[in-house]
Amino acid sequence: MSSAPAAPLLQLDRATIRFGGLTAVNGFDFSIGEDELIGLIGPNGAGKTTVFNLITGVYQPTDGAVRFCGRNLAGLRVDQIVACGIARTFQNIRLFGSLSVFDNVRVACNLHRATSPLQSLVRLGRFRHDEAAIARRAEELLEIFNLRRLRDAPAQSLPYGEQRRLEIVRCLATQPKLLLLDEPAAGMNPTEKADLVRLIQRIQKEFKLSVLLVEHSMKVVMGVCQRIAVLDYGVKIAEGTPAEIQSNPKVIEAYLGEDHHKSIAHH
Amino acid sequence: MPKPHLALFAGLLVAIGVSHFSDHIDPYHLDVLTGIGINVILAVSLNLVNGYTGQFSLGHAGFMSVGAYLAAAVSMSLGPQLLGDEPTVFHEGLLFLGALLAGGLSAGLAGLLVGVPSLRLKGDYLALVTLGFGEIIRVAFQNVESLGGALGLNGIPPYTTIFWVLAFVAVTIFVVTSLVHSTYGRGFIATRDDEIASEAVGLNTTRYKIVAFVIGAFFAGVAGGLYGHFKMTITPTGFDFTKSIEIVVMVILGGMGNTLGVVLAAVLLTLLPEVLRPVAEYRMVLYSFLLIVLMLARPQGLFNFRLSFGKRSPAP
Repeated sequence: MSSAPAAPLLQLDRATIRFGGLTAVNGFDFSIGEDELIGLIGPNGAGKTTVFNLITGVYQPTDGAVRFCGRNLAGLRVDQIVACGIARTFQNIRLFGSLSVFDNVRVACNLHRATSPLQSLVRLGRFRHDEAAIARRAEELLEIFNLRRLRDAPAQSLPYGEQRRLEIVRCLATQPKLLLLDEPAAGMNPTEKADLVRLIQRIQKEFKLSVLLVEHSMKVVMGVCQRIAVLDYGVKIAEGTPAEIQSNPKVIEAYLGEDHHKSIAHH
Repeated sequence: MPKPHLALFAGLLVAIGVSHFSDHIDPYHLDVLTGIGINVILAVSLNLVNGYTGQFSLGHAGFMSVGAYLAAAVSMSLGPQLLGDEPTVFHEGLLFLGALLAGGLSAGLAGLLVGVPSLRLKGDYLALVTLGFGEIIRVAFQNVESLGGALGLNGIPPYTTIFWVLAFVAVTIFVVTSLVHSTYGRGFIATRDDEIASEAVGLNTTRYKIVAFVIGAFFAGVAGGLYGHFKMTITPTGFDFTKSIEIVVMVILGGMGNTLGVVLAAVLLTLLPEVLRPVAEYRMVLYSFLLIVLMLARPQGLFNFRLSFGKRSPAP
């Protein structure tokens, strides 16, 4: 197990959540430092997405605490936690289907908008300046991610891969310090997966943020993550570098079954 | 001057122009135009809630009645005291504006009181709560003797002129359009498209829903005030559930979240019963039949021009 950095960005302190009799996540100790790229893996139903929901405030921990930049997130609404600097994508893509690609990004800039809604009616000075700044920012992001040519297309008309990318761009528009990616490679072919790996690495460097990646594709996780935590039945069974995880017998048994020992070694 | 303001300015000019020539317009046509204007205000404001924000409200007539009663009460009780024996047109106008705003604000307040607890509910539940609210308001007015009880309120001064109606049509369309075409207002559409994703990009969706609801209720109240001072008499049953449905139909037929379409639908659905007057007793049968045909033929909204709508200019 690698030790936690001196001042972790995100810290889960024995985070536990119970739904009735089911303990979905049990005493999860975990931390992410700045500029880290961490993987969270585990078999289906291990509680990975529940961990995401705990971090983003969709669920409140029954026990333990989630801290971000030293602040306990208990009791904060989802949108308030986003304002603290945590953005996420969804396992099943959630875009604003009827809005254009451009507007999907612009609406996410709302968080850092300086003007009040009343100024939407007055539409002078400050408002125009603000709207222009948001438009510029959105254009920039679309340019970086090569989505500029689809600017005015409704988000729902985009091909699958582009939708995934747009969802990430939209996250970046909220200016996060920590980006949570929930199975971004789901449904992608090997070429797209390779592109995604490059994209994640690039985002982490260029935007200077930490990434927590939940992913089933071993190729992606092993390829990009500096450190990996493994969940099984809501309990952390291992944490370490990709190499350590790959050779950890407990992980192999829990995650893939003993028979798959070879297959994980080959990936 | 920003573009929406030019449109507002043009709308107000039209209102002044039409009211200037109103003496030359057939009184019947003027009445129909007034009815159309009031319905446009109702439909466009409900469209902000049901269309753009995706919250299904069935209480618009309830908010309309709050505005109608309060505006009537203001001009009937305060009017004689403030205006004296020989009121000028200017003072009457000022009083009427005050009465309309009071009606709008009280309806907005009612919207806040209904919205805060119920907008946490989703879909069908909100429809039920707003439906219940509309009925409660109606029964309440039926039982308040000082507001005329079941007989309604009579003798409201006929302050509503075509100028006021068209001016408020322009203001309503301006407010809704300006809001929706701003970064803040895109949050309404985002909330409709995907509430969970909206929260995940930092939008306080409950707040958005309440804001839409209160603004919608405000304009319903103003429309109620115009209606009362137009008909000169209001009864609680005039604002029942069927009136709410009528407005919802305009919004759906115009294409949810499409202001231009909703305006056209409001015009069409107000004109239709008038055009059908010659067939007398079959009028409402034919009206209902045409509604069904329209719904079947254009389920996405009669005037849904989404394709041309998608290519907007980049920044407002």
